[in-house]
Amino acid sequence: MHFSDLGSISLILALGFAILTMVVAVLGATRNIPQLVASARRCVLVVAFFLVLASASLIASFLTHDFGLTYVAQHSSLSMPWYYTTAAFYGGQEGSLLYWAMMLSVFSVIFVFTSRRAPAMLVPYVTATLMGIEAFFLLMLTTISSPFVRLPVPLPDGVGLNPLLMDPGMLIHPPTLLMGYMSFSLPFAFAVAAMITGKLDSDWLRSIRRWTLAAWSIQTAGLVLGAWWAYHVLGWGGYWGWDPVENAALFPWLTSTAFLHSAMVQERRGMLKVWNLGLVIASFALSIFGTFEVRSGLISSVHSFAYSAIGGYFLGFLCIVVVFSTGLFIYRLPRLRPEHEFESVVSREGSFLLNNLLLVGITFATLWGTLFPLISQALSRQTQTVGPPFYNSVDGPLFIALVLAMGIGPLLAWRRTSTRTLWRNIGIPALAAAACAAILPLAGIRDIWPNIAFAVCAFTAGAILYEIWRGVRVRHSHGEPYPLAIYMLIHRYRQRYGGYIVHLGLVMLAVGVIGSHFFQAQASATLRPGQEIDIAGYKLVYFGNIAQQYPNVVVETAQLQVWSDGQLQEYIYPGREFYANYSNQPSSLIPITTFGLTDLYVFLDNWNGPAQATFDVFVNPLVPLVWYGALLMLLGGITCWWPEKRRRRIDRSLSPEDIPVTVGARAELSREDTLVVAGRASVIQGTGTQAVAGLTSQAEESDSEVRDLPIGEEGAIT
Amino acid sequence: MKQKRSLLVILAVVAILGATWSHVLLTTPPQKTLDQEVQDVGSQLKCLVCQGESVADSPALLAQQMRAVIRQQLQSGKSEQDVIQYFQARYGDKILFAPPQRGFDLLAWLVPVAMLLAGALLLFFVVRDWHTSSRGGAEQEDSDLTGVDEAEMERYRRQLEQELADDDPLFAQSTIEEAG
Repeated sequence: MHFSDLGSISLILALGFAILTMVVAVLGATRNIPQLVASARRCVLVVAFFLVLASASLIASFLTHDFGLTYVAQHSSLSMPWYYTTAAFYGGQEGSLLYWAMMLSVFSVIFVFTSRRAPAMLVPYVTATLMGIEAFFLLMLTTISSPFVRLPVPLPDGVGLNPLLMDPGMLIHPPTLLMGYMSFSLPFAFAVAAMITGKLDSDWLRSIRRWTLAAWSIQTAGLVLGAWWAYHVLGWGGYWGWDPVENAALFPWLTSTAFLHSAMVQERRGMLKVWNLGLVIASFALSIFGTFEVRSGLISSVHSFAYSAIGGYFLGFLCIVVVFSTGLFIYRLPRLRPEHEFESVVSREGSFLLNNLLLVGITFATLWGTLFPLISQALSRQTQTVGPPFYNSVDGPLFIALVLAMGIGPLLAWRRTSTRTLWRNIGIPALAAAACAAILPLAGIRDIWPNIAFAVCAFTAGAILYEIWRGVRVRHSHGEPYPLAIYMLIHRYRQRYGGYIVHLGLVMLAVGVIGSHFFQAQASATLRPGQEIDIAGYKLVYFGNIAQQYPNVVVETAQLQVWSDGQLQEYIYPGREFYANYSNQPSSLIPITTFGLTDLYVFLDNWNGPAQATFDVFVNPLVPLVWYGALLMLLGGITCWWPEKRRRRIDRSLSPEDIPVTVGARAELSREDTLVVAGRASVIQGTGTQAVAGLTSQAEESDSEVRDLPIGEEGAIT
Repeated sequence: MKQKRSLLVILAVVAILGATWSHVLLTTPPQKTLDQEVQDVGSQLKCLVCQGESVADSPALLAQQMRAVIRQQLQSGKSEQDVIQYFQARYGDKILFAPPQRGFDLLAWLVPVAMLLAGALLLFFVVRDWHTSSRGGAEQEDSDLTGVDEAEMERYRRQLEQELADDDPLFAQSTIEEAG
C-alpha cells in the first residue's frame, strides 16, 4: 500500500461524487425537492474532501521520495530541498491538473458555505455546473493523465525539477496563475445558472460580480508574478514577451476586466445584459482555450511544457462549453431586454462602452496575433511568426487609448453630462497632461510616442487624484482630519474608490512599461579582468570568474564592481548554475540592482576560463513602477472585493415584481447639496422602493445633474 | 470675467506646448548608439533556432553570430532597414519577427484594425438606436416619479436620510447641523 493508491482511489471516488452531485442538484431543482439540493451541497464537500486527500497523498509521495511513482520520479530528486519537492506537485501536467481540480473543489466549498447570500434559485445550477467542470478534470485525472501511475521497478533517484523552475517564483507563480484560470469557472457557473433559470436580476449580478472580482484579482496576481519571475530568471532584460503562453493568461483577464466595467452599467441602468453574459462565457472559454493552447503544443512558445494528447480533450471540452452556453444564450435571448435606454454618449455609460470596445479589441487583436501562425500555415503554407513588434504596434496604442478612457470615465456623469461640467472637471487633469507634455521634451525625451503616452498617463492620474481629492476635501470641510477623511471615503464607498486605486495602479504600471519599453539601454561586451563597461551613467568593472562545486550543482559566477556617480556602489555576482541532470539547461543568477526607479540588470552570457566573460547589461528605467503599480492594483481589487459589515437585514423574499413603486434614478432631495440615486432596497410600510443612496456634498455640485454618486454597497443594503 | 481667465490659461498652455514641441521637432534628434541600433535591428529579427525569441534577446550561438553581423554591417554605414533587408533576402520572410506588411501577411495587420472599426461602427449604430428610441422612454420615467404623491415622497426622503445617517456619521452630523 502506497500513498499513491490512496490517491487513485480518492480520485475515482471524487469523480463518482462529482457526477452524483450534478445529477442530484439538477433533479432537486427541476423536481423542486429542497432535500436533494441540500444533499448536493453536502456532496460538494465530499468531492472536495477526496480531492484534498488525493493532493495530500501526492505531496506525501513527493516528501517520502516514492520514486516508484512515475510523476514523482520525473519531477523530483533526493537532492532537492523540501519546498521545491513540495512545489513539484504542480511542476508537471498531471499534478497541475490535480491542483486545478483541487482548487475548484475548494472554491466550490466556499461557494456552498456562502450560498446563503446568492439567490436560492441559482444555487443548484451553479453547483451542478461547477461539478460538471470538476467531472471533466477528474475524468482526465483518472484516465489519460493520472499522477498516480506506478513504475514496474522503483528508481533509486528521480530526474529532478527543471532548473528554471527551482526558483522562489515557482513557489507562488504557478499556483496563483492556475488558481486564476480555475476561478473563472465560478462566474461562468453563475452565468449558466442564470440562463437556465432566467433569473438575471441585481442579486445575481452582485454574486457574479464578486466572484469575477476575486477571479480578476487572482489572475492579476498570477500575471504579475509571472512577469516578475521571467524578469528575474530569463536574462533578456524584459518581463513580458507577448509569448503565446503569456497571451493565453491575458485573454480571460482582459474580458473579465471588460465585464467588471459593463456590469456596472447593468447594475445602474439595467442595460447590456446580453453583452455581459457573453463576456462571462468568453472569459471562461478563453481560460480553457489557454490551457488547451499551452498543453497541445499547437503554437510554438518559449515555455516548454510536456505536450500530450490532453490538448485534444481540452479542445473537446471547449467545444462543449461553447456549444452548450451558446445554446442556452440563444434560448434566453428574449428575456434579456434592457430596462433603461441610452441617453447620451457623453456619459459614464458611454465611457464604459468605449472601455469595452477597447478591451475586447485588445483581446481580439492579441488572439488574432497568437493564432495567425496557424492561419498562415493553413492558408498560405508558410508559418509566419508574430512576435513582440506586432503586438507593440497594434496593442500599444489601444492600451494608451484605454488609459485615456480610464481618465475620462470618472469625469462623466451617469446618463448625460453637460458641457459645462465636463469642461470644469477636465481642467485640472488637462493641465497635468499639458505640464507633462511641456516638461518631458525639455528634459530630453525627444520621441513622439513616449511623450504622448506619458501625457496620457499624467491626464489619467490627474483625473483620478483630483476626484479623490474632491471627496476628501468635502469630508474635511465637515470636520474630518485628512487621513481619516481618506480612510472614511474609501471605507464607505469601497467599490468606487477601490476602483480608483486599481486605476492608479494601472497608470503606474503603464508608466513603468512605457519607461522600460522606450528607454531601455543595452550593452554587451566580452571583458578581461580590469576592463569595464560604461552604460547610461553606470560603470561595471570586471574582476574574474569564480567556479564553485556543490554535490549536485556547479555554479559559475563572475565578479563585478558597480560604479555610479564616481562612487563604488557594490559588488555583483552574475552567474549560471548547472544541475546534474540538466547540464545543458543552466539556470541564471541575475543580479538586479535598483537605483531609485532604475534597474541595472546584468546577465552572464558566456565565459572562458577564470579570466574572460561576456555580459549583457541592461539599464531598465522605471521597471520598479511595474511591480509597485501591480501591488496597488491588487490592493484596489481587494478593497473592492472586501465584504462589508452586514448591518441590516431586509426581507429578501420580495421579488422585484412584488414591489409596486420604483422610485427612479433621479429622486432629488430638497437639500441643495444632496443628490440621491436609485438602487437601494428598503421596505417602507409594505411598499418597496429601490434606491441606492449616496451623498455628495459641496454646493458647487448643485447643477441638478446626477453625477458623482458614491454607490451604497451591498453590505450596507442588505 | 471667469471665462476670459480660463481662455487665457488655455492660450498660455497652448503657447508653451507649441514652443517646446517646435523646439523639439526643429532640433536634430540625438544619435542612437551602435548598441541601441544593434538591439533595435535584432529585436525585429527572429532567432531561427529558438522558440519565439528575437535575435536581440536570445543567448543562442546563432543569435550571437547574427548580432555580430548586424554590428559589422551597421558599422560599415548601412541603415537599420538595409540590414533587415539583407537578412530577409538571405532567409526569407520567416526571419522577420512580425509579419511583413504585404501579401497574405498584410491580413495580420488589417484584421484587428478592421474588427476594431467594425466594433466602433456597431457601437455607433446601437447607441444611435437607443438614443432615438429613448425619447419616449425618458418622459415615461419622469411620469413614474410624478405618480408618487408629495406626502409619500416626503416619507421616502426621510427614510432615505435616516438610512444615510445610519450609514455615515458625517451625513448624520450634517443633518443635525442643518436642523440646528
